[in-house]
Amino acid sequence: MTGRRVLVVDDEPQILRALRATLRGAGYTVDAAATVEEALTAAAAHPPEAVILDLILPDGNGTEVTRELRSWSEAPVIVLSAVGEESEKIAALDAGADDYVTKPFSVDELLARLRAVLRRRTDAQSEPVIEIGELRVDVPERVVTVEGRRVKLSPHEFDLLRVLAQNRGKLLTHQTLLREVWGPAYQVEAHYLHVYVSHLRRKLEPDPSSPRYLLTEPGAGYRLVDPTSAPV
Amino acid sequence: MRRVAEGIAASAFAVAVVTAAIELLKPYVPVLSLGVLYVFAVLPIAVVYGLALALFVSVASMLAFNWFHLPPVHTFTLADSENWFALAVYLATAVVVAELAARARRRATAAEQRERESALLAELATELLRGRAVDEELGEVGVRVAEVIGVPSAQIELGPPRRPPSACAPLPLEVGERSVGTLYVPEGSDSNIAVRRRFLPALAALLAVAAERDELERGALEAEALRRTDLVKTALLRAVSHDLRSPLTGVRTAIGALRNGSLHLTDEDRAELLDAIDVDSERLQRLVGDLLDLSRLEAGSVPVEHEVWSLEDIVRDAVEGLGARDSVEIVGEAPLVEVDATQVRRVLANLIENALKYSPPGTPVTVRLTATRKEAIVRVVDRGPGLAPEERERVFEPFFRRDGDTRSGAGLGLAIARGFAAANGGRLWAESRPGQGATFALALPVVEVPVGLQV
Repeated sequence: MTGRRVLVVDDEPQILRALRATLRGAGYTVDAAATVEEALTAAAAHPPEAVILDLILPDGNGTEVTRELRSWSEAPVIVLSAVGEESEKIAALDAGADDYVTKPFSVDELLARLRAVLRRRTDAQSEPVIEIGELRVDVPERVVTVEGRRVKLSPHEFDLLRVLAQNRGKLLTHQTLLREVWGPAYQVEAHYLHVYVSHLRRKLEPDPSSPRYLLTEPGAGYRLVDPTSAPV
Repeated sequence: MRRVAEGIAASAFAVAVVTAAIELLKPYVPVLSLGVLYVFAVLPIAVVYGLALALFVSVASMLAFNWFHLPPVHTFTLADSENWFALAVYLATAVVVAELAARARRRATAAEQRERESALLAELATELLRGRAVDEELGEVGVRVAEVIGVPSAQIELGPPRRPPSACAPLPLEVGERSVGTLYVPEGSDSNIAVRRRFLPALAALLAVAAERDELERGALEAEALRRTDLVKTALLRAVSHDLRSPLTGVRTAIGALRNGSLHLTDEDRAELLDAIDVDSERLQRLVGDLLDLSRLEAGSVPVEHEVWSLEDIVRDAVEGLGARDSVEIVGEAPLVEVDATQVRRVLANLIENALKYSPPGTPVTVRLTATRKEAIVRVVDRGPGLAPEERERVFEPFFRRDGDTRSGAGLGLAIARGFAAANGGRLWAESRPGQGATFALALPVVEVPVGLQV
């Protein structure tokens, strides 16, 4: 039996060995690469369904791999980042990476994130009506309900919620959200985003001070999750 | 006073000389027209001694002319009334000439003084701007200032005024209202007030600019030093955290996988995981050991057990220890050294291991032994990519890693090697050129062997 194909990219040989054995044990088919060049060659030879990617590589960085990969593949990317690599992490997420785990990570956490990004990929982004827990977003009608009760949102609030809902579970960086909702001209105005997020929380969350749907990823961005399903 | 007496004597002499000259010329020229010759007495006196004496000479000349040459001679009366007029004209001419000459002299003196002042200021400005620290120049400046303002000596101090040294008068150096420092001149030495008023503010302004520049320079240097230590600390922290975390991540991932009940691991995977744990935990152990050595070396708390050894034996030992007998050639010979063999073996092992790592496959590493009169030298030569000149020293910095280099470890090997070399009284340096391979040289002091015991 061959499982779903995962490409692991890390220049530390022992981490690569451990990840390869782990993922094989979890039923995946594993390709391994230690450099940017090897990663892109391997991805082209055997298109992966997901990529686990170290941020700092000997001949470049994970952001380059992500950007290159994104030009022809929708395969989700999880970056492995260490403390002190925050700016590289954000750059990779902005370039289209889906999520990150911080080294040293637990095997369970990594496997859970991998399952989540693979599951998400099967959800069509183009669903007209998105249901997340008690939250229901009707995209063509621009109607939002929580527990069956209709919520009035401003146009920007609705667009922000729509982008988050269409990428449910996925970490979206500040820059990505600003670009998607306000257009490229507003990329620097991060405080717009924080204000709208707090508006959304007040209107959608049962308890806005401890959000369950719209989660903050400190220093990175936001993600919308289903509080009734297992945590990612 | 002496100068006045000298002036009077000179005046008398000048008048006497002209009077005698007229006496000699009298037979040939009408005496009345000779009176104008007294100008030659008035002029030099005016130039050298000033207006007062020149006026004195003018009057004395006319009296002498009247007494000796105008009839009736040897009286102050004049026979011809025309002669009175001539005498008056001569006197007036002499006075005007004296005044003009004295004025020209004053101007020349003032111009010279100003020229000296501006020359000094210009010179000071050049020297101070050239970047010499103003504090070091103050003595020299004082001497030159004394010359210019006409006092026997002068001393400059920057900063707020203090009690003047004994027998010294303080002259403030100020720019506007701000005090720059003080100029001390010997008490009672009188310098020209106008000069002080003109020159001292200019001097003060110059010194203020120079002192300010020095201050800024010191500040900039300190800031730069701080910035550098900060950069070093950040790089260090990042390197340590990366080098410790990577093997830790490997170990933890492998253990996590082995303990995870939901994974279906084959025997082969299981072996892989155990091996990964083995390799990474050993790497951690080495790294921790290296960090410990480095900190002990930097603290100077490494005990060195000196014994006499053959350097060649230590080299062979190091090569054996690395299991690299086939890829290292040893040439030459070296005298005995008195060192801690364990530590020198460590230095050599680090150098040879490095050389092997950078050597193209199939090319040997050469260890060449030589000696000077005082030192035994081991050179470890590889045929790898070599080092750029700016890297030759930097490779010995802890955590130094060449850009994009992933073959090296934490970047501690050479730092530790240099530390142990120094602890054993030796030196370690790089001699590489890019494209020609790298050479690392270790020099250790040779043992003075008594003549009869030489091998």
